[in-house]
Amino acid sequence: MSGGGGQTDPAKVGVYICHCGGNISDHVDVRKVEDLAGSLPAVAVARRNSFMCSDPGQEMIVKDIAEGRVNRVVVASCAPALHETTFRGALARAGLNPYLYEHANIREQVSWVHHGPGATGKAARLVAAAVAKAALLEPLEPIRVEATAHATVVGAGPAGLKAALDLARRGIQVVLVEQSPFLGGNLARLDRLFPTGEKASEMVEDLARRALSHELIQVFTCAGIAAAGGYVGNFSLTVVRRPPQTQRDLELLAKARSSGLPPGFIPFAGYLPLEPPSAQEQIDLRTGAVILATGFEHYQPHAGQYGYGQLPQVVTLPELIQIMAGQEPGGPLTVNGRPVKSLALIHCVGSREIPGLHEPPGGRPLNEYCSRVCCTATLQAALEIKERFPETLIYDLHRDIRAYGRGHEDYYLEASRRGVLFLRFAAENPPQIRAQAGGHGEGLVIEMADTLLGGEELELETDLVVLAVGMRPGPAAGLAEMLKLSRGADGFLLEVHPKLRPVEPAVVGVYLAGACQAPMDVGEACAAASAATVKAGGLLSRGYVELAPFVARVDAQACTGCGACVEACLREGALELARPPAVAKALVNPALCLGCGACAAVCEPGAIAVAGWTLPQYEAMVRAMIAGEAGGEQA
Amino acid sequence: MSSRDLPPILILATEACAYPGANSVGQAHLGYPDNTCIMRVPSPAMFPERFYLECFDRGVGGIIIMSCGVECPYEGAYEVLAKRIDRVYQLMKQRGLSADRLRLTAICTVCNRAFIKEVNQMARVVAELGPPGGERAAA
Repeated sequence: MSGGGGQTDPAKVGVYICHCGGNISDHVDVRKVEDLAGSLPAVAVARRNSFMCSDPGQEMIVKDIAEGRVNRVVVASCAPALHETTFRGALARAGLNPYLYEHANIREQVSWVHHGPGATGKAARLVAAAVAKAALLEPLEPIRVEATAHATVVGAGPAGLKAALDLARRGIQVVLVEQSPFLGGNLARLDRLFPTGEKASEMVEDLARRALSHELIQVFTCAGIAAAGGYVGNFSLTVVRRPPQTQRDLELLAKARSSGLPPGFIPFAGYLPLEPPSAQEQIDLRTGAVILATGFEHYQPHAGQYGYGQLPQVVTLPELIQIMAGQEPGGPLTVNGRPVKSLALIHCVGSREIPGLHEPPGGRPLNEYCSRVCCTATLQAALEIKERFPETLIYDLHRDIRAYGRGHEDYYLEASRRGVLFLRFAAENPPQIRAQAGGHGEGLVIEMADTLLGGEELELETDLVVLAVGMRPGPAAGLAEMLKLSRGADGFLLEVHPKLRPVEPAVVGVYLAGACQAPMDVGEACAAASAATVKAGGLLSRGYVELAPFVARVDAQACTGCGACVEACLREGALELARPPAVAKALVNPALCLGCGACAAVCEPGAIAVAGWTLPQYEAMVRAMIAGEAGGEQA
Repeated sequence: MSSRDLPPILILATEACAYPGANSVGQAHLGYPDNTCIMRVPSPAMFPERFYLECFDRGVGGIIIMSCGVECPYEGAYEVLAKRIDRVYQLMKQRGLSADRLRLTAICTVCNRAFIKEVNQMARVVAELGPPGGERAAA
C-alpha cells in the first residue's frame, strides 16, 4: 500500500481520551489506552479527562496546540455526531485548521457494547487507527461559491405557498412553479382541518392571496421544470408553461369563468390566480436554491378493492368530504341519491400493505408505510357526520387507530363518546363487502371478524362504505432524476438524516418541504416548509455559500489524464478533463461533486481522492488496526 | 465475549446510515464480538477492488460493507458498489478466498437487529475459517 500524505509539517498528534463520567472508563482501561497511544511514533502527547467536551477538556487541546506541542488532534470519546464539531471548533480557536482532526468512537462502539479486556483492546485499536489517519490529514478549506439570492419553489400546495412566503419575507426573490392552473394543492380538496377545525378553503385563499400580492414572488401556474442543471447558489432551471390539458382542469376552468374568475377560489380545485397560458412558453431561471413541495397524491383503490368502482355506495374519504361539503344541513346524508342511515369507515386502504398478504394488481410496489393522517381524518369525518347528521349510525373498521398528533386523541375520545362503533379486523382477514340481496335497494353487507370480540363473525348492513385511502408520493420522479435526488423504496424523497439533517437531500441547495418526503398533515407540511426555508434562507442571504470540503481533489502531477474518473463520476458536470491546449488533467467542480469517491476507486495512479477521506488514510487505518490487534494479544 | 484470538473483522459503515446504525446498537447497549473495527465512510463506492484484497492480505478475516442500500444518498453509488463487489468476489475466488469473508449489506440508522445479525454471522465465519488463506490450506 502506498503511504500518501504530503503535508509539509511532520505530524505531532495529540490524543485525548474521554472517561465520559464512567460511561467509557467503567469498561475501558483508559490509562492503558493512554499508555498505548503514547507509545505510537506519531503521537506527541496522550492525555485523559473526565469529560473532554467540557471547557477544561477542550482547554487541554487548545493549550497543547497553542504551545506548539501538537498539530493534529484525535479525541477518543462518544459518537462523532455528538462532538466532532465541538472539537473541530477547539482546533479553530487554537488557530489550527479544524480539519486536522480525527475522532475515535470509543463509547457507542466500544464501552457500551464490549466489556472486559476486549473493550480496552478494541479502544486502543480504534485510537491507533485514528492516529494513523490523523497523521495523514491535510488542512482543508470550506469551498466558497457565489449564491444568487433567488429561490425556486416547486409545488403550490400549503408547503410550497408557505415556503414562498417565508423566503420572500427574508428578502429573497422567489419563483413558485405549480403544475396545475390552481394554487392550494391537495389542501384545496379538504373541507375542515384537524385539529383546529378551520376551513381549508380560507387557508388556501389566505396563502394564495398573500403569495400573489408579494412583490418578490412570481407565480407560474400550468408549469413544470423541464430541465435542471448547475449547483448550489447557481442552479439553472427551465420552466415550461403549457395550456391546461386534463379533462378535470378544463371543466374546472369553464366553471371558474362562468363565475367571473379569475382571480378567485373554486371549491375543491383551488385558487385560480390568472388565466392559464394559451400557448406553450419557456422561462429560463437562474436560482440559488430549489425547494421541492411536490406533495402527495391520494391512493386510488383498484377496481374491486372493498367493492370500489363496482358498488356505487363505496367511496373514498376524499370523495365523501367533497360530497358532504355540498350538502344542506337538515335531512339525512345523501350519497349518489341515496339517503345514508348507516355507514362504515374502513382504515388503512392502500397503507400498511404487507408483502405476501397484499398483492395489488399490476404489480405496483406495496405501500408498506402508515399514511399517518388518515386515522384522524377518518375520526374527524365521523364526528362531522355525527354533528351534521346525528341520526347516522357509524361503524369504524380499523386494523389499528393511530391518532398520534397533539389534539388528535381528542377526536378518538369524542367519537367514542358520540357512539361511533369501533370494530377491529386483522390484516389477513379484511372486511368483505357485497351488495344486499333483495331488501330495499342497493344497500351493502359487510362481513367481518371483529378481533375486539374475540374474532366473532359479524354481518353489518350499511348504506355506504368509506375507504380511508392513504398517501402516495406526488409527481416528483422526473424532477428527482433531474436533480439527482434519492427516493426511498416507497417513492418518497429522502433526506440525508431525519434528525441531523432534516429536509436536506444529499444535493446541497435543494430542500424538501412537506409530503413529498413522507405522509404528513398540513401542519407538519408547513413546519417542514419553514424548516426548508430557514435552511435555504441561511444559505442564500450571505451572497455566497460555504460547502464542506469533503469533495474530490486531484493531484495534478500524478494525474495521467486517462479520463477513467470522469467516466465513473456519478454527478454530471462534477468532473471533466481539461481541454486542449491545456494538458489533459481531471478537473473537479467542487460545488457539484457529491464526495462519494466513485472516481477514487477507478484511478490507477491514485491521483484523485475525496479530501479528508482518502484511500491512503483508510489503508493506514487498516494497518494500524492490524498492528493494534497484534499488540492487543500481547497485552 | 472476548474475541482476541480471532482474525479482525473490518466494517465499512456509511456515514448516512450504517455508522449511525452502529451507534444505535451502542445506545441500546447490545453486545457483539469485539474483534470488529468500524470505519466511517461517505460511500464505500470509493474503494477499489485491490483495497479489499489487500485487507485480506494483511490479515483481516472478514469485511462487512454496511451500505445504505437503495436509500443511498449518492444517487447511483450503490449500483456501482454492488458491481464492484461482484468483481471482488471473482478475484477472491481466484485467490482461493472464501466468498463468505466479504459481505455487502444495507443497514439503516436504527437497524439494530440486522446489524447484530450481520456481525455475529461474520464472526462465526472468521471463527470457522481462521485467518485469511486458511481455507486454501484446508482445501
